[in-house]
Amino acid sequence: MKSREEEYKEIFIAEALEYFDSLNRHISTLEKQPDDDQTLAEIFRLLHNLKANSKAIGYLQISDVSHKLETAFSLIRNKELAFSDEVVAVLFDGIDMLGELIQNVDNPDQGEPDPILLRNLDIIVENLSDSTIELTKVQKYNTSKNLSLSELIYIQIKKLDHMMNLVGELMIDRDRIISISKELGNDELASVSSHLYRITEDLQYSVMGARLVNIGSLFNKFPRIVRDVAAAEKKEVNLELTGQDIQIDRNILQIITDSLLHLVRNAITHGLERPEEREKKGKSRVGHLRLRAQSDRENVLLELSDDGRGIDLRKVQKTAVERKLVTEEVAAGLDETETLSFLFEPGFSTAKEVTEYSGRGVGLDVVKNAIDSIGGRLTLETEKGKGTTFSMLLPTSIAVKGALLFEVNGIFYAIPLIHTDQVVALDKDELHEVGDVLITDLKGETVTVVYLHELLNAPEADMRLGDKTRLKGQVQNIIVVSYNNRKLGLIVDKLYRQQDIVVKPLSKPLESIDLYGGVTLLGTGKVCLVLDVPALTRYFINRRQG
Amino acid sequence: MAKQTKNTSSDKDQAEGKPAVAEPGENGQTTVAPAPQKDEMVHLIVFKLGAEYYAIKIEQVKEVTITPAITRMPRTPGFIKGVTNIRGDIIAIMDLETRFQIRPASLPPDANPNVTYTLVIEAKDYSIGVEVREMPQSLNLPVSRIDRAPSFLQDINIQENFIEGIAKIEDRLIIVLDMHRILSQEEINQLPNA
Repeated sequence: MKSREEEYKEIFIAEALEYFDSLNRHISTLEKQPDDDQTLAEIFRLLHNLKANSKAIGYLQISDVSHKLETAFSLIRNKELAFSDEVVAVLFDGIDMLGELIQNVDNPDQGEPDPILLRNLDIIVENLSDSTIELTKVQKYNTSKNLSLSELIYIQIKKLDHMMNLVGELMIDRDRIISISKELGNDELASVSSHLYRITEDLQYSVMGARLVNIGSLFNKFPRIVRDVAAAEKKEVNLELTGQDIQIDRNILQIITDSLLHLVRNAITHGLERPEEREKKGKSRVGHLRLRAQSDRENVLLELSDDGRGIDLRKVQKTAVERKLVTEEVAAGLDETETLSFLFEPGFSTAKEVTEYSGRGVGLDVVKNAIDSIGGRLTLETEKGKGTTFSMLLPTSIAVKGALLFEVNGIFYAIPLIHTDQVVALDKDELHEVGDVLITDLKGETVTVVYLHELLNAPEADMRLGDKTRLKGQVQNIIVVSYNNRKLGLIVDKLYRQQDIVVKPLSKPLESIDLYGGVTLLGTGKVCLVLDVPALTRYFINRRQG
Repeated sequence: MAKQTKNTSSDKDQAEGKPAVAEPGENGQTTVAPAPQKDEMVHLIVFKLGAEYYAIKIEQVKEVTITPAITRMPRTPGFIKGVTNIRGDIIAIMDLETRFQIRPASLPPDANPNVTYTLVIEAKDYSIGVEVREMPQSLNLPVSRIDRAPSFLQDINIQENFIEGIAKIEDRLIIVLDMHRILSQEEINQLPNA
């Protein structure tokens, strides 16, 4: 395993080389079309990023040269420097030098950048187009004799999601094989399946590892957001970030992004006081907001603390009584944790007086549900006058599946997208009763259709899958699933949306019921059953035969 | 030191001052309480199934809560009411009346028919909820008040090994269940696959 630092360095070099290639391409374009503002802007952006990245990682020579080039290009952009042949030559040399520096970041024998070239850059920057001072000829850089491709590739998260799904499927099959091998008691099969077990496990962890990103990729967006919110609220806020290099599954980070944004906004708007108020209370004018990530065994702990006014527990209790969530006598006896749990009640927060008094709450139930949905934990500590801390304990990695959500007889279900073929809405007249099933024609293909409500909820003795009179309404929403190359249309009551879900396996004693692949929690906190398409198909076939 | 000193010689004073300390051990209280033949106590959570009282030892009960919204699971055995979300944990809710084929009794007039209670039972590596219609009560009683279950109980629906014993309190008879045995492996295997 490489150290984190080495990994960063590799990423930096790969990115920098990519920037270098782009710079070369753009400056060649610019040479032919000096008035192309778009290209100029792009060069400017690349140099700016390169400067910032190299400075952050400590490659000061690169950041220095990038800075000089950036200055030169900004002059060109402002028409203060002509894009003359002489200047172009110096700029090309400069970019070549950048390439040289990037390729040799690790080479201790690499000397200082050519002083003559640096001087030339200074000359064009400082003297503008006044060419009274001779530019000195420099030895041409010829670093690109060896063409090389980057060590890193970019990959769409979708592809990783797909790989993760396949790994999940593979694991299901693997477990099946293991159990079959146990049944058969064949030694050779047993040794192969135990090898298969180890390989799939390795594969699972490799794919999960490939999905990890730095928390910094989210954290680093916050300084700007905090600045904007603070400015709008006329507050002075100092944001402190720690633990940006902690790694977490990209999709988990995605799911908590809105929640974190919400909490940060809340902390500034309601938690932190205005500067004058803080001074009166003997606090510093500037409010402190701390966003911290740390590893906690298998999990990641995210903490957001402010040193604002905190939450008034008595006001929360009062509101809980007003909203009839609890009686007055009970409310008075509640401890801090119990009282704070009211804040996560749906709708509790939207009460205006709560947000004013307690300073917290708008949609905290939404935050809680988001954290629940990925199997995380949200806790909250507060001290009146001292501030509030939200702690989120998140799993580092988790299998997130795309699924289609729908409703049958008032119950929410999900079917993983990996099993869905298409979704169609058909008129009742397009369904035909054939034997004891319904069939329809989909683009020339005959597909068996079944009313899911009948299949799931009718008493088994009285199940009539081929009876159209049992259908509700005229237009039927049908999810076509495919399993073992066989298609089956499932008529559902209401079709919702496609969504990434985290499937929680059912715990005992329900784990052995294979009709359900697990459950997931919806954003509403409702339990949604994840249908197992293979088992559902099997159940349907058995019904017909039985 | 409350001793008078005529001379200013401090060395002597200190030497003479020693015997002035009061002797201890004058109060003759006994610190050992007379131990009445105290029995080992057991803490039970008592609830009603049908017309009878049942109980589970408190160590097997994680919490008692008002039953949250239950999501029914079609094509599962009748005694599985469904699943529910208790603080982010998804647990199954079981109906012991259905499970043991106990005839449901009518509710007392003061009970709210829309509210039921769930006893969250903690097994080794998972939790399960048991739904009851009346508010469960807590009860402390000496272990000696629980009799071993009589053997003829094996013939009735609740198999004997689920019953830890029968407690008699005043005119009430309480059947003490061993939840861990109810949730044992063979029981789980009785769940039919769809």
